[in-house]
Amino acid sequence: MRHGLEAAFAIAKKDIVTQMRKKVEAFSMFLFALIAVLAFSFALVNQGSIPEEIGSAMLWVIIFFMGMFGFAPIFLSESETGTLAGLATAPIPAWSVYLGKVIYGFTLMGIVELFLIPIISLLFGFSILSNIPLAIAIFVIGTLDLAAVGSMASALTMPSDSKATVFPLVYFPTATTGLMLLIEITKIIVIGPGLVPVIVLIQILLAHLIAILTLSAAVFHFALSS
Amino acid sequence: MSKNRLIFLGVTAAVSLLYVYMTWIYAPPDVNLGELVRIFFQHVAPALVAYGMFGVTLVGGILYLWKGDLKYDILGAASVKLGLLFTTITLFSGMMWADATWGTPWNWDPRETTTLILWIAYACVLAYRASISDREKRAQFGSIFGIVAFPMVILSYFSIRIWETLHPIVIEPTGLEMAAEHGYTLMVSMIAVIMIATILVDLTYYVDSVHEKLQRIRMSRS
Repeated sequence: MRHGLEAAFAIAKKDIVTQMRKKVEAFSMFLFALIAVLAFSFALVNQGSIPEEIGSAMLWVIIFFMGMFGFAPIFLSESETGTLAGLATAPIPAWSVYLGKVIYGFTLMGIVELFLIPIISLLFGFSILSNIPLAIAIFVIGTLDLAAVGSMASALTMPSDSKATVFPLVYFPTATTGLMLLIEITKIIVIGPGLVPVIVLIQILLAHLIAILTLSAAVFHFALSS
Repeated sequence: MSKNRLIFLGVTAAVSLLYVYMTWIYAPPDVNLGELVRIFFQHVAPALVAYGMFGVTLVGGILYLWKGDLKYDILGAASVKLGLLFTTITLFSGMMWADATWGTPWNWDPRETTTLILWIAYACVLAYRASISDREKRAQFGSIFGIVAFPMVILSYFSIRIWETLHPIVIEPTGLEMAAEHGYTLMVSMIAVIMIATILVDLTYYVDSVHEKLQRIRMSRS
């Protein structure tokens, strides 16, 4: 177990260091999000403002689509550089490879969100400051949920004949469950009435995260062995 | 066709006729819904069977990954197709009911929306499978996708308890919230639709297995 976790963190560290050198994915994700905000504004702005509940919901929609840029290349880049076979034959459990990729995806999305969330909240005119600890918890759980789904989706694109087209086919339907819950929770945080109504939703979101992580980790060695 | 299959087909035809009789003649009009309650019997059973079909996809996927036998993958893929068929029936009967009771066929109700997302999700499973030409990889990765997609089924089922909804909740932990005659009709409709679904699964499985064998013969000759 400890060996697997160490391997997962080592894989995540390798990917993060590589990403920090290139910076292209994080930067393109950030730019995509900004363009999306501006594009949505044409449809949503009414008399100079956007309703708070719609703005906060759009935040997760943008993060969801941004995930396409961040998660799709997770295994594709390994395949292109020829290092996927190395990961598959390394003397580490398969789940640690998956976990390492989830940690990397989470870190990458987290870094972009750190810059993105304040900008979007400012432009869309809503505040998540009414309950900062809850908001941070939701962004951590939500991003982890999307990273768990996105990493698995990226692995599933490997055997396909048309990898780039297939990623949204796998990522969108599997990530939509989490997205719907995140939108609902964030709306409640922004417009009230606070913690109590969101507890059940957070529990369902956590259950979804645990289910996806467990299912994906359990079957990942089949994906890696192919 | 084997004798057992013929007997099952005959019993299914008899139960289906009983289902039609109970839906249109035996069941009295509902106190609130009136004659519209008859749409309800064409809606609930296909919905629950659709969830069941996607459950078969989950189990088929797990069994394929565990045992490596292609028959489980064929079963899983067949259940995706039939799950989509029953979800389509659910959506259309639901829209008819919504149009009659709420005044418009589509209300963006959480159950409507999550059921449509469910339909799209499993259509994506089929599209994904079609994008993999290697048979073994298609089975392996298709099974994994079938397993990972299942939480959407759970969310669709519980959506009416998570979000505020117009959709009635008839199945409570304490039992069915309806008149006894409607309860009996619902039970018969469930049995009939499950039996029809079983025949369809058997048929689809048979056709897909034959198709699989033909593909292998073609490949061995080329």
